[in-house]
Amino acid sequence: MAAEDLPSEFDVVILGTGLAESVVAAACSRVGQRVLHLDRRSYYAANWASFTFNGLLTWIQEQNESQTEEVRDWSSLLEEGEELLHLSDTDSASITNLQVFCYTNEEDEEEEAESADPLNTTEEEKPEEFSHDVFIRSDFQTVTFLNQSQAAQTPGEEPEAARPHPSAAQSQSEPTRKKLSYAQLVKEGRRFNIDLVSKLLFSRGSLVDLLIKSNVSRYAEFKNVTRILTYRHGNMEQVPCSRADVFASRQLLVVEKRKLMRFLNSCMEETEEQQAYNGRPYLDFLRDQQLGDNLQHFLLHSIAMVTEDTPTEEGLASTRHFLRCLGRYGNTPFLFPVYGLGEIPQCFCRMCAVFGGTYCLRHSVHCLIVDRDTNRCRAVIDSRGQRISCSHFVVEDGCVGSDRKKMATRAVLITDASVLPGESDQQVSMVTVPPAAAGGPTVKMVELCSSTMTCVPGTYLVHLTCQSTGSAHQDLSPVVTMMFRTTESEEPGNEHGRPFVLWCFYFNMADGSAVEVEGHQLPCNVYVCSGPDGSLGHEHAVKQAEFIFHKILPDEDFCPPAPNPEDIIYDGDEGAAGQEENQGEQEIYLQNHTEHNAEEEEMTPKTTKEKDKNQSRPQTHRNTRSMQH
Amino acid sequence: MAIRELKVCLLGDTGVGKSSIVCRFVQDHFDHNISPTIGASFLTKTVPSGHELHKFLIWDTAGQERFHSLAPMYYRGSAAAVIVYDITKLDSFQTLKKWVKELKEHGPEDIVVAIAGNKNDLGDIREVPMKEAKEFAESIEAIFIETSARNAVNVEELFQKISKQIPPLENPEVESNDSFKLTRQPSSTARRCC
Ligand SMILES: Cc1cc2nc3c(=O)[nH]c(=O)nc-3n(C[C@H](O)[C@H](O)[C@H](O)COP(=O)(O)OP(=O)(O)OC[C@H]3O[C@@H](n4cnc5c(N)ncnc54)[C@H](O)[C@@H]3O)c2cc1C
Ligand SMILES: Nc1nc2c(ncn2[C@@H]2O[C@H](COP(=O)(O)OP(=O)(O)O)[C@@H](O)[C@H]2O)c(=O)[nH]1
Ligand SMILES: [Mg+2]
Repeated sequence: MAAEDLPSEFDVVILGTGLAESVVAAACSRVGQRVLHLDRRSYYAANWASFTFNGLLTWIQEQNESQTEEVRDWSSLLEEGEELLHLSDTDSASITNLQVFCYTNEEDEEEEAESADPLNTTEEEKPEEFSHDVFIRSDFQTVTFLNQSQAAQTPGEEPEAARPHPSAAQSQSEPTRKKLSYAQLVKEGRRFNIDLVSKLLFSRGSLVDLLIKSNVSRYAEFKNVTRILTYRHGNMEQVPCSRADVFASRQLLVVEKRKLMRFLNSCMEETEEQQAYNGRPYLDFLRDQQLGDNLQHFLLHSIAMVTEDTPTEEGLASTRHFLRCLGRYGNTPFLFPVYGLGEIPQCFCRMCAVFGGTYCLRHSVHCLIVDRDTNRCRAVIDSRGQRISCSHFVVEDGCVGSDRKKMATRAVLITDASVLPGESDQQVSMVTVPPAAAGGPTVKMVELCSSTMTCVPGTYLVHLTCQSTGSAHQDLSPVVTMMFRTTESEEPGNEHGRPFVLWCFYFNMADGSAVEVEGHQLPCNVYVCSGPDGSLGHEHAVKQAEFIFHKILPDEDFCPPAPNPEDIIYDGDEGAAGQEENQGEQEIYLQNHTEHNAEEEEMTPKTTKEKDKNQSRPQTHRNTRSMQH
Repeated sequence: MAIRELKVCLLGDTGVGKSSIVCRFVQDHFDHNISPTIGASFLTKTVPSGHELHKFLIWDTAGQERFHSLAPMYYRGSAAAVIVYDITKLDSFQTLKKWVKELKEHGPEDIVVAIAGNKNDLGDIREVPMKEAKEFAESIEAIFIETSARNAVNVEELFQKISKQIPPLENPEVESNDSFKLTRQPSSTARRCC
């Protein structure tokens, strides 16, 4: 890396590029604060990151490596009345119980005529047919093995030739479908974007609101979750959400349809009848509505997405939120970002950078310099031993040794077919799997198709999440074997319809909602952001970011809209370029155009100084223009 | 005429003149004190190309290249990338390969690549021979051009060359990509809920 030093003075220094940190960074930079945003990792988004397949293999390997922390003496950098507060460099406790399983063939099976892949034709021996070895890669050595096969790939080789035929998906219900080999997964690795967290955006949730409000939305594109499924009695069923769905549903009886419509319409308003159930389980309330088992199941698990003992008022609030989110962008309440959730923190980071924020990955903070009298952090010492002064310091929880009270359980699967094949092979599905036994955790599953740009055509990326009770593998492998096929599956006769798992990995991740943030003996201008929480939405991180922002800057607006590209008017002195920079900084003024045509980019000079006022005015009609579809 | 939006991202070391090239192209303006940190979300300029209008959405690095911290999202969906070096700085030419590699890793597979040797108004202190740069560009099948953002040399031409290399639009209906940007107004096609 270039030996360039960072500037030594900032208003806000932020360590960690998770969602909350990135939103704080964007918000502060947007209102003119000088922001330094660091991450010790080589990638953005911390535990919110998404990785290519190969990037994920590297990440897995890194999780198994113990990092040694060198302790150095920085006291020479201290001034009068200051003391040092050391930060922890590693974040080992946030990811545990990592296990990797590969169920597909190591190498390609015999190639069919359609694929003219030069790599495969040069292969000397073909592997034994259908030797479905199970590679259990839960320890360090096997992970190393994975990376050797990765290194064997010719660098820069175009994965073009081996790209699975889009038509492969059409034959997916046939048992003879051809599986992608492990070598192909590696070769196509860059076309995967595998998220560490599995969340969705509620179409009227706080993250969507924030993206729109701030104009950060222009950096990302989204897909609708196209259907809501639930797993019941060994079957995958579609949950009707919209009026059209209800009427089109083949599983519902006519009476059920009427009841469901009536219920959904009536529950939008609070009634005395509902209030009578306050404090009692939502399940009781639903039972008393005489809805029947089917509808009760849909309402509790898929619409409210609560548990059997959730109180009625909470269950109703969740139900209403779900219903309010319907129809804004699509048929379900949820959105998913193209290229994965890891894009979102990066978008906020870009907004921060656009307004002057400084970015430096692979760079950390060793310790804080605290003023003894005021208990304020005056400066930080970075990983190069440079003293950087700041007025505020924001840090991810892993660096301050927070307690992990609760863990989330995760599994990520690459499969070869959808859990519910339909007319289109490009469905994005949200699946709720109710507890197998009473009191067990509900599993939330998101199945992504290749048009979300998170996996290659012919494969699906399946994210499973639940609250942890044991290790991730203990919690989720029963669900995986129930809904999918692996080489370990028994009863070969019974499993044709189920998708085959090519590769999967399990891990536990600290649940950010349970991290003890308050009560640390931290300086008063140090703020801790927690990692991803276990809930489906993003409310926790957005709320936390806004809270921290207002603590730092009580009187400032949180993420006002950034100007639209077409509104940035360069105040050029025509014909005399570079004349006006006596003021040290050249100036840009913003203007709201009212007319939009091809000529609008011909910038006209303008000299009003109403910069701030213009910036914060929302330009609704323009946003409509950015709609691509 | 149909307007086609094309994202173009700029790459190259800090100080080679990326922001200046964008500024020259979009606003026909040059300023020596251009702030190194304040890049745009993206700027736009529309140019005719055959039977189409190409509306370039030009993404500048926003300074994230300074400490080698460009985010993968920066490259997403780019139709073209301009990798800029400074003809008076051999270093900036030597890091071209690193940027090409980075682009191969994170950029779309079918991206049009252009290499721009900027500051060619400073020929007397040139450190990078044009021939060498041109050969390198040919070796990776990239467009090559030397520019001067300062004197407005070849900046328009750079983007014209890119325009020409952009493959004509296949039937847009065929590739029904239903991803969208979030807007204040809900999409009018969305179905009503219960
Ligand atoms: C090639 C190119 C060059 C560009 N060059 C510049 C450039 O040099 N400067 C530029 O601003 N944009 C530039 N832009 C546009 C741009 O990068 C952003 O879109 C733009 O900075 C956001 O506009 P803004 O002026 O509202 O930013 P602001 O948020 O206003 O920030 C601009 C700077 O001005 C300061 N500032 C903001 N408001 C005030 C105020 N009321 N009084 C005093 N200082 C204030 C801020 O602290 C900040 O340092 C350029 C774009 C391109 C493509
Ligand atoms: N002489 C000359 N200087 C240039 C040219 N283009 C940019 N510069 C100067 O080079 C410096 C860096 O330019 P900038 O656009 O900020 O580079 P960036 O970091 O790549 O965005 C500025 O001082 C510019 O004025 C050019 O074509 N000729
Ligand atoms: Mg620049």
